[in-house]
Amino acid sequence: MTRLFVFIWFMALISVFTLSGATSLVAAEDVIAPSPEVMASVRVTSKPPASVGDTVDDLVAVFNPDLFALDADHKPVTPITNMFSQPASDIAREVADNTWLNFLIFLPFLVLPEVLLLYVIWKFKARNDGRKSATFMGNHTLEIIWTAIPCLALVVVSVPVWHVLWKMELPPANQKDAMSIEVRGKSFAWDYKYQDHQISIGQDVMGVQEPLVLQKGKTTILNITSNDVNHAWWVPAFGVKKDAIIGRYTYTWFTPDTEGLFKGQCAELCGQGHGVMIISSVVVNAERFARYLAMQRQRNDTLKIWNQLAPTIMTLDQVALDQAVVAYLAKSRTNDRQLALRYWIASNYASCIRRRQVGLTPAEVAQRSVERRHLLDQAIDRALAVASK
Amino acid sequence: MNAPAALPMPELKRYTGVMDWLTTVDHKKIGLMYFWFVVIMGLIGGAFAGLIRIQLATPGAVLEALNAAQIEGSAAPFSLFSENRHLYNQIVTMHASVMIFFTIIPGFIAFSNYVVPLMIGARDMAFPKMNAFGFWLLIPSAILMMTSFFVKGGAAASGWTAYPPLSLVGHGTDPGQDMWVMGVHLAGVSSILAAINFIVTITNMRAPGMTWKKLPLFAWATFFTSIIQLLATPVLAAAVTMVLMDRNFGTTFTIAAQGGDPVLYQHIFWVYSHPAVYIMILPGFGAISHIFAAFSGKKVFGYLGMVIALGMITVVGFMVWAHHMFTVGMPTILQAYFMYASLVIGVPTGIKVFSWLATMWGGNLRFTTPMKFACGFISTFTIGGFGGLILAMVPTDITFQDSYFVVGHFHMVLVGGSTMLLFAMAYYWWPKMTGRVLNEKVGSFVFWTMLAGVFICFMSMHLVGYNGMARRVPVYYADFQFLNLLTTFGYALTFISALTFFFQLIFSYFQAPTAGNDPWQINDVQESFEWATSSPPPVYNFEVVPPIPVADQIGKQH
Repeated sequence: MTRLFVFIWFMALISVFTLSGATSLVAAEDVIAPSPEVMASVRVTSKPPASVGDTVDDLVAVFNPDLFALDADHKPVTPITNMFSQPASDIAREVADNTWLNFLIFLPFLVLPEVLLLYVIWKFKARNDGRKSATFMGNHTLEIIWTAIPCLALVVVSVPVWHVLWKMELPPANQKDAMSIEVRGKSFAWDYKYQDHQISIGQDVMGVQEPLVLQKGKTTILNITSNDVNHAWWVPAFGVKKDAIIGRYTYTWFTPDTEGLFKGQCAELCGQGHGVMIISSVVVNAERFARYLAMQRQRNDTLKIWNQLAPTIMTLDQVALDQAVVAYLAKSRTNDRQLALRYWIASNYASCIRRRQVGLTPAEVAQRSVERRHLLDQAIDRALAVASK
Repeated sequence: MNAPAALPMPELKRYTGVMDWLTTVDHKKIGLMYFWFVVIMGLIGGAFAGLIRIQLATPGAVLEALNAAQIEGSAAPFSLFSENRHLYNQIVTMHASVMIFFTIIPGFIAFSNYVVPLMIGARDMAFPKMNAFGFWLLIPSAILMMTSFFVKGGAAASGWTAYPPLSLVGHGTDPGQDMWVMGVHLAGVSSILAAINFIVTITNMRAPGMTWKKLPLFAWATFFTSIIQLLATPVLAAAVTMVLMDRNFGTTFTIAAQGGDPVLYQHIFWVYSHPAVYIMILPGFGAISHIFAAFSGKKVFGYLGMVIALGMITVVGFMVWAHHMFTVGMPTILQAYFMYASLVIGVPTGIKVFSWLATMWGGNLRFTTPMKFACGFISTFTIGGFGGLILAMVPTDITFQDSYFVVGHFHMVLVGGSTMLLFAMAYYWWPKMTGRVLNEKVGSFVFWTMLAGVFICFMSMHLVGYNGMARRVPVYYADFQFLNLLTTFGYALTFISALTFFFQLIFSYFQAPTAGNDPWQINDVQESFEWATSSPPPVYNFEVVPPIPVADQIGKQH
């Protein structure tokens, strides 16, 4: 009996202490490269490309890594990080530190009873050696001690947690510089609205959930609500979670401090699609974030051109395409606007490859992607040539 | 005046066989019926858990679901519910409902029913017919919930918490959710009747000389539990009635568009459901004190402290409900209050754990099956309680809320705690209840498989929640596969344990009832009357109500 207890206890404690190690181990297995023949023109990237002169595909990989995160079997790769092993915001770091502090303060109250239990089991097991049982029925000193010491521990933990709590629940100190985003849960996806920029994102042309793109170092306030049933917005790496409730706005804030892709998911039972109500968030630097906003502003204008280029269009109408491109560039011919056009066509194609088209294999869609994006480049060149004459 | 004529005596018909059980008002028979009801419902709830664990053994792939019909030719991962995640939600809901309303809460009522009148030297409960009524209400309640799988739209699928708006719009006008609400109502009425009965019985029917200061701890615990049940259960009824009326009668308690508030429901629901977690463990706290004392050959350590701790848990338990809702967006000062109040509950619980250890200190410990379960309970419950302290801290809880860490925590407390306690109580009192002595080797097997299963299953749940897995999901990120597989393995051990227990009890009926008055030979330390009568006790419990002090009387009865 004693030995088995010791064994199980050893296992339990080991597992608790190796928490963070196990986490990183599991996460590392899942970064698998895509099959080259399916997506010759795209690449999975866990790190943003270093150079300033990003290609369009680089940008898609930066702003919507989900689109390329497919493994060799064309299944999405979904690494998830948590705030303890890889905290990605100021809140997450503070909460993780506070959690470990509380853990250490409380640990004696876990270990002491267990050790005492094992000791008592070993020491006072009936051995038929004629030992008489003790007869004491109380000990006021002891009882006072084991009431007072836990109370003391509670007082000790209550001080640091008070500061963390008020910090994370009150509006941020630099509220005026913060970026506000409205988060709207609906069954079973998320809509985001950059309230300072009048930009709304959510689902792309294929109905695939888009990531929430955030700026590194920029304090972000999320105003969360719901269209229907209760949801909860939760990205573990940011250390925040808030319910989305119809009829009221809840809010939370954090300052992302690490670039990369962070996954989460709806944390309040919301019906059949609850398990697949995925949340992605991408943190980029200030320069890229400005570029992202600029491209989002052009987004609606690119739809007409996409309608000419979509993979479901069997025969391309060259004239209509040229007209659409000319119309698009008539508004403005800056590099940014051209880039936005290329970006959205590339992004839409990546989404089509990810979410399979009826009647087309991913390889066929990828083939069309290469051909038609080339045609688009030519159409842009022609339009620019005409315009410059 | 003439002497009154002799009144005609009413014909008192005594049934035998099945009719005897159907019409009985004997607290012992009702207790046994509660017990078997609980065992069977527990196995059903455990089978639901099995379906969940089979589904979650593989990621089922968030992936496969995201790409839904678009994936051609790629082998979909094994998934019980790939076509019907609505069914998965039904199973999740019913697993919780069955385990809470039909297994753990009535499980403790079963033992309270059987043992408390014996302990305090009463001949029956104060209201025997109400007692029987309370039990028989559970049957239609269970039937309502179980048969709702077969109605249009299936059973309730909004979780056992039934948060609106999901419980309102989840499946429109289909009757599953309504049947769930009615089932909860009936179970609630049953619970309230039992609570009234215990309070009156313990207050008024103690044997002469058994003052409050000498009341056995299990009776004390039942008394406090009954107070919680009496005060809290009507609140649950109010909460689910709001859902029922919003669904059917056009009220708008929880409909935001018409001025209601979904959060209102959550508050009212948890005003019941937090105290309910103490309903689900306090009686066991009391019972385990008897077990430790009995098998240590000592008296309970710090009796008064134990009673005060029970009382504190009862009172403070009412004041902490909103720690289930830290992410709902309530004022920070309330979060702070509920955090500190929740932490305070750790203190009386700690007093109890240390007092149990002190009860064992210096004794001669006999590791019978109930004693093993009691020791196992301390080891698992301490972990569950530790997780509770971590979860009480708001900043940490905001991350862990609705994650598998929470699931691991409350299963550690409800399976590692309450269920272990129920097993301990069943092994401890089974010889008294049936006269049959259970085999220690089988009991030992049940204990070790249960302990290993609980550790493997729920420690993995803690870890996977720490890593970021949300609860109530039918599919999950592939990163979590290994720990989920481990959880499923632990579940299998636990279920094997429960099945072995079930068959051991069944087969025990084929033995001869050889247990004497005091099958555990604990007569020098016991502090309650139940060992002063035969096993099983006669209908009237005691030929002569045994006077205090108990210890002097043992062995002199019969």
